[in-house]
Amino acid sequence: MNKIPVSYVLRSYPYFLLDIIGLILAGIVVQMSIDWHLALRQGIWALAGVGIFLILVNIPYKTILKHSLPFYGFLLALLILVKVAGHQSHGARRWIGYGPVMIQPSEFMKLALVLALVWVFGKMDGKEGLSFGKVLLATSMAALPGILIAKQPDLGTAIGLFFCLGVFLFLRGIRSRTFFTALWISVILLPIGWQVVWNHLQGFQKDRIRTFLNPESDPSGLGYHTLQSMVAVGSGGWFGQGLKGATQVRFRFLPGAHTDFAFAVFSEEWGLVGAAALLLANAYILWFGYKTAVLCRESRGFFLAAGLTSLFGISFLVNASMVVGILPVVGIPMPLLSYGGSALLVSMMGLALILNVRTHEET
Amino acid sequence: MLEYTRVRGIPGLRSASGLNQRFIPGSGSFFKMGSTPRRRLIALLLLLAVGFLVLLARLFDVQIEQHSKYTKLAQGNILRIIPLPPLRGAIMDRNGVVLVGNSTNFVVSMIPDEVIDKRKTFSILGQDLAVPPSVLEEAFDRMRDVLPNYIPVPLMAHMSTAKVGRVSMDIYRLPGIVIQTIPQRTYIQGPMAAHLLGYVGSLTVGDMKKSYARHLPPGTGIGKTGVEKTFDDILQGEPGESRKLVDSQGSVIRKLSPRYPTQGHSIHLTLDFRLQKAAEDALGDRRGAVVALDPNNGEILALASHPSFDPNLISSALTAKTWNGLLNNPDHPLTDRAIQGLYPPGSVFKVVTTMAGLKAGVIDPAKPFKCNGIIFLGGWAFHDWKKGGHGTLHLRRAIMQSCDIYFYRAGMALGPDKIAEMARNFGLGLKTGIDLPSEMSGTVPDRDWKMKRMHQPWYPGETLPFAIGQGYLTVTPLQMARLMGVVATRGFLSTPHLFLSTEHSVRFQTESIVRKIPVEPTSFSPLREGLWAVVNEPHGTGHPVRMKEMEIAGKTGTAQVISNRIPAGGTAHVKIRPDSWFVGFAPFRNPKIVVSVLVENGGDGGDVAGPVARAVFKEFYQDYLSHPESQPDLAANKKEQRF
Repeated sequence: MNKIPVSYVLRSYPYFLLDIIGLILAGIVVQMSIDWHLALRQGIWALAGVGIFLILVNIPYKTILKHSLPFYGFLLALLILVKVAGHQSHGARRWIGYGPVMIQPSEFMKLALVLALVWVFGKMDGKEGLSFGKVLLATSMAALPGILIAKQPDLGTAIGLFFCLGVFLFLRGIRSRTFFTALWISVILLPIGWQVVWNHLQGFQKDRIRTFLNPESDPSGLGYHTLQSMVAVGSGGWFGQGLKGATQVRFRFLPGAHTDFAFAVFSEEWGLVGAAALLLANAYILWFGYKTAVLCRESRGFFLAAGLTSLFGISFLVNASMVVGILPVVGIPMPLLSYGGSALLVSMMGLALILNVRTHEET
Repeated sequence: MLEYTRVRGIPGLRSASGLNQRFIPGSGSFFKMGSTPRRRLIALLLLLAVGFLVLLARLFDVQIEQHSKYTKLAQGNILRIIPLPPLRGAIMDRNGVVLVGNSTNFVVSMIPDEVIDKRKTFSILGQDLAVPPSVLEEAFDRMRDVLPNYIPVPLMAHMSTAKVGRVSMDIYRLPGIVIQTIPQRTYIQGPMAAHLLGYVGSLTVGDMKKSYARHLPPGTGIGKTGVEKTFDDILQGEPGESRKLVDSQGSVIRKLSPRYPTQGHSIHLTLDFRLQKAAEDALGDRRGAVVALDPNNGEILALASHPSFDPNLISSALTAKTWNGLLNNPDHPLTDRAIQGLYPPGSVFKVVTTMAGLKAGVIDPAKPFKCNGIIFLGGWAFHDWKKGGHGTLHLRRAIMQSCDIYFYRAGMALGPDKIAEMARNFGLGLKTGIDLPSEMSGTVPDRDWKMKRMHQPWYPGETLPFAIGQGYLTVTPLQMARLMGVVATRGFLSTPHLFLSTEHSVRFQTESIVRKIPVEPTSFSPLREGLWAVVNEPHGTGHPVRMKEMEIAGKTGTAQVISNRIPAGGTAHVKIRPDSWFVGFAPFRNPKIVVSVLVENGGDGGDVAGPVARAVFKEFYQDYLSHPESQPDLAANKKEQRF
């Protein structure tokens, strides 16, 4: 594994890089239309992200993967620390840090989990399917932080972790017997499990699920988020209302406009044309990531690229579906577009690792 | 290698082909279709691609297909539209006397969004208005939930100017309190002409289906009965609105220029307030109705019904108690007896029998007839109202003294169908078409009608009461005025109406107002001679109506009532005092007015209804004919003694 000059990497994949820069700028414009303070902070995080991006591209991913487990363990410890001494905001305890630098360990946990799962599944040993022990190990690796995060409460991120696990299990392949055993156990345990989960859900989480199952039940109350989001998206039309005309955003009718509903803001301001362009930009990233995985001649690189790309794609799809009312409101931010330093850093780190796999495998 | 060829389409795979075996999980895997991680990754990619397409389709649906819906919702978020009700047009009589107008109602209201300290506000207001604060609080709570927070909630209406002054002085320490001036419909004459004017009530869901009322704000006054209802579209006007731009907190960002309401048009009725007043005064406390109209064009000059009600009570602060009191009153004050009351016409109907007889040739005005006070039919005896009869008489005296036997005989010769046909020619059994809602049509019986309604044949014994206006026959006082109008004009049936004009333009009546009935004009002469005698001969039944100044002709009626208008505690089919009728026209030679009077259970027609009619005729004479110069041809007509 030779070191590859950064300048060479940057020159080799200009479209991928321009795509990422474009999406980050789109996010900053969205933040600017809400509050320039947000845009400024997001910009600073983005600059920090660029630095980390350049560093990560430069270190061979196999070197990075050696630190998977310590990284995972460190973040698990941070999550416990958050639980004990985290900062509270809007009723949730998610942040840790000092002064203006607040990070959200749960976001980083997504990345750590992918790396950890690559460690579990990455070495192909030629055996048929996965052993039960490995499945159990992987499941507990996802479940441990998952429960901690769900308790913050941050159901969206916790669900994201289980999506990761699912993707890895699917790609690695499970033995029929393992799969069906797990299925039967799930079917038997589902009613009990649902009761346990339901009892542990927070009131607002239950309400969100209820509202989603029956949106008419309370159009003015809990469906408010979804309704205002769809009003924002729908009033965008073909070319959008522009930064000044987007009244849903300007007059603060859209709750969580800068985070979970940034895509709604973007759609109101730029219309279907803008939203379709955004879709295309994200689709290109997915294409690039999956192509990287397929091209990779080494199994850990394959799983790393596939896992990170899937995490990115699923986050995008779930968030966008929630904004247009296809899925219930779960707190999964849109990669690169939503406000949030940790989420932005994690996205950029993930993309850097994809590019890393691409460059270090092709040469 | 089979797997490899199937995924050949994926770029770059070829170069990786040699590595496939390195991480093949094997065929024992559950997901057979994607038996290598690479192929399963492609399946995942396809799944995500489907997700993207669904998302794109959804975006198209929401942003393009449903764009207008969501744009409206977005505007609904930022626009606060407060409706401004229009001022309703006034209603005036033919001479410009205002019958219905608007007065200013000072209302103190509270805008929930703008109140800072509710309790303090209520206590200051309570002192100013001299009411306990709890009263205001109750008024507030009652309306609170039905209105958005930015619409003023009325706390107290009909404030005196003194109270308005006190509240204005304190307004600086009453944030969120506003004094609104709301137009209040005012019926200046109170209960007078209440039935024909009608009243306004709050807009209901049903009213909003009408095309012109679709965009009226809820709570707008809308005509519920009478002229207020018929001409609601003219009177209503266009509402305006004040518009404000707000943010999600409800703070006003900018006030947009308001759209001011357009006042409704005022209308003039054909009614003459002086005649209306004379009619109502003459009727006094008795239950009944008076109709006065111009037989030449159908213009209604007076339309009274007693007992009446005060529309002001219904239109402003109607309480359930007041309303139930009106509904349950045994005298039915809400019923407009002039157009909705159904009564047997009694002897006034002999007008129809006479014309049917003359047309069929069963009555010869020159032929003498002997009345001995009784007639037998099928073993039943039918008596004249006068014991012993009237002796030998001609048509003229038969009408003058209302001889029943004469008309029994004519009726027997005619049969029910011919009488009914003539009655319908005179507009009985049909709605007159007056521009008021809920008019009744009454009943004109004949053989078909009886078979349909009662599944029985017509008995000859039923023709006799029919011929003198009893039995199944029912009419409204308005129909009788119209009937007499036909006699007055020698064969022209008019459509009675109240609408004269609006301020700006005359509404054109598309149908012809006056229609010729299929009766020879000359054949009215013998009848008219009889009607003249009724009033002007000393022994005429309508002699109390006679005026020296103006020749009046007409017919009395004393209709036997077997009715369910039972006094409290009575039993069904109680025979009570007969209904009293007088229907006449004047001036005899050049008729300008028809008056129809009905007094429920009044007794003798000439003595009870007659003087009421006379009062109306007298008022008419004083207002219109007392100056000879206004009627130059009156004297000329007098010489020509032709009936």
